Amino acid sequence: MGVFWKSMRDNRRAWIGWTVALTAIAAMYASFYPSINNPAMADALNSFPQSVKDAFHMEDYTRPENYFAVSVFGLLIPILVAVFAISAGVKAIAGDEEAGTLDLVQAQPVSRVSLALQRFLAIIVALVAIAAVMCLVVIALRGPGQFTALSPGRLFAICLQLALFGLLFAALAFGVGAWTGRRLYAIAAGAAAAVLGYLGDSFFTQIDSLKWTEKFSPFDWYLGGEPLKHGVQWEHAGLLLGFAVLFVAAGTWRYNQRDIAV
Amino acid sequence: MADTPAIQAEALVKRYGRGGTTALKGLDLTVAAGEVFGFLGPNGAGKSTTIRILLDLIRPTSGSVRVLGVEPRTAPGLRARTGYLAGDFVAGSRQTGRELLTYLGDLRGGVPAQRIRQLASTWDLDLDKRIGNLSKGNRQKLGVIQAFMHRPPLLILDEPTSGLDPFLQQQFVALVREAAGNGQTVFMSSHVMGEVQQTCDRVGIIRSGSLVAVEHIDDLRKRALRKIEVHFDSDAPALSAAGISDVVVDGNVLRCKLSGDADALVKALAQYHVVDLISEEPELEELFFTYYQYQEA
Repeated sequence: MGVFWKSMRDNRRAWIGWTVALTAIAAMYASFYPSINNPAMADALNSFPQSVKDAFHMEDYTRPENYFAVSVFGLLIPILVAVFAISAGVKAIAGDEEAGTLDLVQAQPVSRVSLALQRFLAIIVALVAIAAVMCLVVIALRGPGQFTALSPGRLFAICLQLALFGLLFAALAFGVGAWTGRRLYAIAAGAAAAVLGYLGDSFFTQIDSLKWTEKFSPFDWYLGGEPLKHGVQWEHAGLLLGFAVLFVAAGTWRYNQRDIAV
Repeated sequence: MADTPAIQAEALVKRYGRGGTTALKGLDLTVAAGEVFGFLGPNGAGKSTTIRILLDLIRPTSGSVRVLGVEPRTAPGLRARTGYLAGDFVAGSRQTGRELLTYLGDLRGGVPAQRIRQLASTWDLDLDKRIGNLSKGNRQKLGVIQAFMHRPPLLILDEPTSGLDPFLQQQFVALVREAAGNGQTVFMSSHVMGEVQQTCDRVGIIRSGSLVAVEHIDDLRKRALRKIEVHFDSDAPALSAAGISDVVVDGNVLRCKLSGDADALVKALAQYHVVDLISEEPELEELFFTYYQYQEA
């Protein structure tokens, strides 16, 4: 497990920074809830055209689950989680390889598969930590933020789906990086999935011929089943987890076969 | 075990990519346990490719390779018994030298902190500095220390002294000799003929992906031309003896080149009054050049 602990140690500052920043953003949005939850705001919101409201998933903000689904967990947090996950996934193999520092570690008595999996395990731990801290802080804010109508179980559900959503992007960037050894390809794959996934879940849904894309969007698997209203969406969670496992397995398999670039 | 070669490669072929360059074209190589083997050849001849195959960083297209008796591909644990140093040693720049050495030591099953401290003080290296703040020479020192610190049975060194000043190169030679004295095997590619001459028992010369010659350094030394200078008490005679060539007479001094046995020359000199006789250590460099240049022909 030496590689795992070294990964944790090398990344501890950055990962703690991400945890603090993401939690702070979530806490900030959550503590705005009392000022959003008033009739004037509801009227203002109702004046938006329906298509805009659909695209941004705007609904009645007097119910906290609607506000939280759009603001806290709707856009900034998942996008930042995806950015974090992609950068961590890229760095694990491809970034190290392009920096020329992977050679030294793979010249040690650690198998390729073990190195790859230990490094990915460290990313899993980071994502779980981010989601867990965020979840606990938001739950703690239920009283002061006047959104006790939102149960801790529902908040847990969305944080779990958020962690799995991050896991998918981490696995994609990690897998492409491990397969190719190229940072650029890994970043491109992650960014393309994030952008297309977002469009597929928002603007494409306005175009009838593109409505089907929603079903393939990681954003839909994360938020589409409205975990804040209905709890954990196991089918969506399964899709996120399943693809993550597939990407990590494929990347690791190929990494074990191929040459390490100089 | 003693009879198992430290390195054994047979018909090793390495092609990069589909239809890409062929770096190795059927390399056969045997390095006996306990010897110091110099692996020489021009840039691009396949030295690093061979070394990276030994460490399982890349996989041969065909052929077989065994390191300390096992296939590198199937036995990652083997690498606890090897020490590897690349010419341009790179490691994560934000950690300190001590962090890196401790990590690598732990991966190899543990290296006493005492041993690391002692090597660092011999090499005058500050282990508390971040690697990114070290000069190229100091980074290379760190590379030397990590390769030797766990006293591996086999050292695989790829141009180990690049970036080291002549004093440190000399210190490196001492370290290799010490390792050889402990019975460790050293497989080393190098362009510094001085260190090859001072450390290696045998050298193999690789050219365009195959081994063209393997020689004992003593045999090479015998064949190499030795510069001779003889001072006489009067005008130097125009001497001729077996093995000497390029005779130049300059007043009382005679200069010539000698290959092989010195006996004929000494007997021929015996009839004169010889004031001084200077015989330089043969330079293998020129001999290697002939191998290197062969490639262009």
